[in-house]
Amino acid sequence: MGLEQALVVSALKKTYTKGTIDIPVLRGVDMHVAEGEFVSITGRSGSGKSTLLNLIGGLDTATSGSIVVHGRELTGMSRTELAVHRRRTVGMVFQSFNLIQSRTALENITLALAFGGHPRPTRRQRAGELLSSVGLGHRLDHTPGELSGGEAQRVAIARALANAPGILLADEPTGNLDSRTSCEIIELLRQLNRKQGITVIMVTHEEDAARSVSHRVLRLLDGVLLGEASGEVSE
Amino acid sequence: MTFRDLSSLSLENLWRTKLRTSLTVLGVMIGIGALVSMVSFGSGIQHNIAREFRELDLFTTIQVLPSELNLEDPLSMDLDAMREASPLDDEVLELIRALPGVMLAYPEISFPALVKLGDAETKTSIRAVPSELGQRKPFSEISFGRFFESDDETSIVVTERLLDDLGIRLTDGAAPSRRARDDTTRQLTMVASGDVIGRTVTIVTSVLDENVLTRAISRTLMPTGRAPFREETVTLDIVGIQSGSMGFSGLGVGGRALIPSGTAERIPRLSFSSIWDLLDSRDGEQEYDSIHVKVGEMGELEAVGDAIEEMGFGTITLADYLDEMKRTFLLMDALLGAVGTVALFVAGLGIVNTMVTSILERTREIGVMKAIGGSESEVRWIFFIEAAIIGSLGGVLGLGLGWAVTRVANVAANAYIRPYGVAPADFFHMPIWLILGAIGFSVVVSLLAGIYPAGRAARVDPVKALRHD
Repeated sequence: MGLEQALVVSALKKTYTKGTIDIPVLRGVDMHVAEGEFVSITGRSGSGKSTLLNLIGGLDTATSGSIVVHGRELTGMSRTELAVHRRRTVGMVFQSFNLIQSRTALENITLALAFGGHPRPTRRQRAGELLSSVGLGHRLDHTPGELSGGEAQRVAIARALANAPGILLADEPTGNLDSRTSCEIIELLRQLNRKQGITVIMVTHEEDAARSVSHRVLRLLDGVLLGEASGEVSE
Repeated sequence: MTFRDLSSLSLENLWRTKLRTSLTVLGVMIGIGALVSMVSFGSGIQHNIAREFRELDLFTTIQVLPSELNLEDPLSMDLDAMREASPLDDEVLELIRALPGVMLAYPEISFPALVKLGDAETKTSIRAVPSELGQRKPFSEISFGRFFESDDETSIVVTERLLDDLGIRLTDGAAPSRRARDDTTRQLTMVASGDVIGRTVTIVTSVLDENVLTRAISRTLMPTGRAPFREETVTLDIVGIQSGSMGFSGLGVGGRALIPSGTAERIPRLSFSSIWDLLDSRDGEQEYDSIHVKVGEMGELEAVGDAIEEMGFGTITLADYLDEMKRTFLLMDALLGAVGTVALFVAGLGIVNTMVTSILERTREIGVMKAIGGSESEVRWIFFIEAAIIGSLGGVLGLGLGWAVTRVANVAANAYIRPYGVAPADFFHMPIWLILGAIGFSVVVSLLAGIYPAGRAARVDPVKALRHD
């Protein structure tokens, strides 16, 4: 784990407006994540975990505050710059996998490679390597509907890694999986963090799992970070 | 993402929804097909008329009339003035011939006559023209035999229609007319054209019988029981046969038989083209209904026409009709084009509908694309290209459909007119501007139709889209 900061979040606020009513979701979040660190964010439903991850991933924009990823301020970026951030700096994994159903596992990854500007002739090879690295070298031409939940999430993780991002953002990656498969996915994320040095920020409501794999666990309650606990993982 | 990537992604998306894409393409096809076939019909009519005018040499023809005509408002013409107008006689003919630019001037002479060939006879209209016209269309287009070589030869050029009326069908002639085909009770003799050439026809004309007329007048109201006419007979040799009916009759090119003008002068007759002819013939002076003038170049038409009008005569040239025709054609083109454009507009709405439905179905997919790094402009392009592919494909196929429709319609139209003895024609004309314009128009319509859906897709909020079911 390096000393450089992969992410610094300061006084981050996000408020949704419904009609005339303002709904504050994040009410001043400060956090930082070092390069190569595995940080989990836990909290109850509606605590603002996913919103925080969406803001770091550049899918959403903050109401106020600052998000600095690899030294670059996200707030104030144009929509095009945010798209570049999503394709190069971060990779995202979702609870519901979010694979394109009509495309095979391989094609889901080549699409991400195409957005990342990867040369066309080597895309399939690179996608094959990525799928092999998550143990799915034999399921290249299967569509998401033909894969189990665990396999689909592995494809989603492979896709998130397609453009070699420094940070992997995982939003409830085991939320739709049984306990055994959840363990496998958590182990995969752990290996990516430990062996490849990828910074992982995982949102989960399973605190035990979070503690078992993370360097630090942050708790979010009603849009405010309550504090942090060290994970069971020692350096 | 490269343009190639965007295009192949768009094609993949369209391929995924083959049925919907096909139906939308079909809509554009029908729109473009309708537009192309309608406009090519309008263009075909104009093309044919212009070609016929050119072939008949009508762009260099002036018809001279005794008094000035007001084509804009024929009812405003003063009939008394017309009656008292200077007559078109040989003196005027010579004056016109002397005008610079005039290549040929000849009077319009046609008269009714009974034509006899063997035992058969029929009433018809005979036209007298100078032999010089044999060099010019349509007179130069003799199907069998030849045109007159001099103005005084005792020969006649007949049309197949006239022969048909006489009960003769050529074994090597054009398709029979409907009238002939329908008349199953009539005895028809099948004869080769070579056997008709050289045969002698007898022309019987009517002239005023002054003896009968005088008696009728002397007995005032007591009828003699006999019309004041007697018959004159002349024999002529058939030298040529023409398949058509001597073409366009608008400027006096019609007629079912032609004889040399010099021969015609020797045939006593009543023209009966006007009742005034009866009164005017009292002094024995030869007067013509009209005189045809041919100029060398189309550019000389106006100057020669003006010179003739300065002499106090009326002129009709194609130019007089052209402006009016152009206006009519423009209106016709606009109407035909409008119908096609409406069809294309509806097809455009079909594209919008298809694309919007597609966006609704693929909202989550759009969210995923954005989550893995797709920019707004890339998403916009994907949908824009999809719309363009639908439009272009529809345009090209629609052009093919339009072409096929015009070919089928052309065959049907020709099959319909053939029994009337009308020569086959192409009723549809598809110029290159129409082909390129139709494809261009379909692409423009599809791009316009793609603007809104593509913009809508680009603006999809990825966070909401990822939650979309």
